Amino acid sequence: MPRFIRFLPYVLKSLWRHRARTALTVSGAAVALFVFCFVGSVQEGLAGLTRGQQAERTLVVFQANRFCPSTSRLPQDYGRTIAKLPGVADVVPIKVFMNNCRASLDLVVFHGLPQDKLRSARDLKLVAGDWGEFEKRQDGALVGRAVAQRRGLASGSKFTIGEVTVTVAGVFASSATEENYIYTHLDFLQRTRGLNSVGTVTQFDVKLAEGAEPQAVAKAIDEQFRGGPIVTDTRSKGVFQAKAVGDLVELIGFANYLGYACVGLVLALVATTTVMAVQDRVREHAVLQTLGFSCYRIFSLVMTESLIVSLVGGVLGIGLAIVVLSFSGMAVGTEGVNIAFTASVGLAGTGLAVSAAVGMLAGLVPAWQAARAEIVASLRHV
Amino acid sequence: MPLVEVRALTKEYSKGDQKITPLKDAHLDVERGDLVSLMGASGSGKSTLLNMIAGIDRPTTGNVVVDGTDITRMSRSKLAAWRAQHVGYIFQMHNLIPVLTAYENVEMPLLLLPLSSAERRKRIEIALDAVGLADRADHYPRQLSGGQEQRVGIARAIVADPAVVVGDEPTGDLDAESTEQILLLLQRLNKELGTTLIIVTHDPKTAAIARRRIRLEKGELVEAGAPILKRELQRA
Repeated sequence: MPRFIRFLPYVLKSLWRHRARTALTVSGAAVALFVFCFVGSVQEGLAGLTRGQQAERTLVVFQANRFCPSTSRLPQDYGRTIAKLPGVADVVPIKVFMNNCRASLDLVVFHGLPQDKLRSARDLKLVAGDWGEFEKRQDGALVGRAVAQRRGLASGSKFTIGEVTVTVAGVFASSATEENYIYTHLDFLQRTRGLNSVGTVTQFDVKLAEGAEPQAVAKAIDEQFRGGPIVTDTRSKGVFQAKAVGDLVELIGFANYLGYACVGLVLALVATTTVMAVQDRVREHAVLQTLGFSCYRIFSLVMTESLIVSLVGGVLGIGLAIVVLSFSGMAVGTEGVNIAFTASVGLAGTGLAVSAAVGMLAGLVPAWQAARAEIVASLRHV
Repeated sequence: MPLVEVRALTKEYSKGDQKITPLKDAHLDVERGDLVSLMGASGSGKSTLLNMIAGIDRPTTGNVVVDGTDITRMSRSKLAAWRAQHVGYIFQMHNLIPVLTAYENVEMPLLLLPLSSAERRKRIEIALDAVGLADRADHYPRQLSGGQEQRVGIARAIVADPAVVVGDEPTGDLDAESTEQILLLLQRLNKELGTTLIIVTHDPKTAAIARRRIRLEKGELVEAGAPILKRELQRA
């Protein structure tokens, strides 16, 4: 057992000595790390949109010069033409319907897909309900877990947004982004009163064949329809999604500064508490040195106090953020694309590393002061 | 060979333009098992001398050799390790750590030594028993009287079995009854355990328990009110 463990009871009792102060500092650090994780989760969600196999190996064909999905109307038979192009493995026509085209914290997005394509084109794992019920019901919908949590939906419940009313046939788990969508039958959405879009779709998801060059295929698709009634704009799914949420990216970038400010706040808070703890115990540290505690030992005792305060606050804040993020299904979206607030092990690890680094940094100066204090002068300290 | 050898010890420091010399060219030998009292008026340099023997202050010139080791040339970290093994310090104000029990306070110096938990427990029990506080091991300083606190302080000073125990006004903060108890305890430790004790005091009653009484006058040592030790040494 490392000898340092022997001193842990003293460190913990020292922290307990001013428990109100310690508790306030811990809660301050917890709040700051909670916000830090929240900001980080939005960043992770944004990164999740633009990376991975789906983002790179799937193209999205959209109507040119259209932004909001409700304004993109592509003839459904474009799909047959696209499917014949070299490098294309599969084409999925999608009708998109949503409650709001602007930035929103509660963007509900319906994706209508042909029943036979849904299972192969999407990696959905049902956590409630069953596929049979979905296939059987014309108004059946598979709801992403995040939407279900946000809206309190369960299998069998009815759900209405605008003109669209669906029956929840199942709730699925998937990637954080996917869990913010609701999947319905394509023809159901096309025939919904008010949408009036039989024969048209919002976009095509084009799955690329092995070895196909995304940019070349995208160019070929757009070339194909350049002279047609509706001109297309084809991009990789990652680029398409990043462009859709482009307005939010700047805001999210700005939110990063909030995260850094939180780190600074924890640093100031823990450093202040540690300085106060050291100033309260000038004589006690001198007594310990008289007993034979070395400068290094005093330094490490103070550093440990600082580290514990910061880490306990960090663990509480990170833990709370992970719980809230996991069970709230929060997301911010615009133009039919949702950025899911993603709680990940990596984010928790980063938060812990930040807590530890801040704790160490905050303890450095007071620990140095405590370690270098003159014993005789400190023994006279009142 | 004396346990403690103080040779030509001088301490100077500056306060503004003024140069202060609390201790000047002091020579002192303390034999193993001795009980020595250092008396003198305030500012006579008795605590300064004691602190340098205990290795918590450094002289401007001169040497302190304890148990054959010259501690004045040691690095700060080596001196700390040396203190943990060779010196016990009894403070006037007890200076117990308020968040630790009597047992834990006495354990603190032992945490620095390579001892197992069982060995530490045995030593602490012996030390607390020696000061008559075995039944108060789990009491916090606030639950003890001043005299009891000082006895815990003494247990802490002797628990590592140091070569020398120093006390800076060990009865200075106690009432008459507690003072009596502490003096008896110190005498018993010296006689029964052979502990070498050097005590700074301005109380003649405390000084009276010592076998050697040394007075400091204006930073110089005078033994038993008569010859300056330096002159004695020079004669020898």
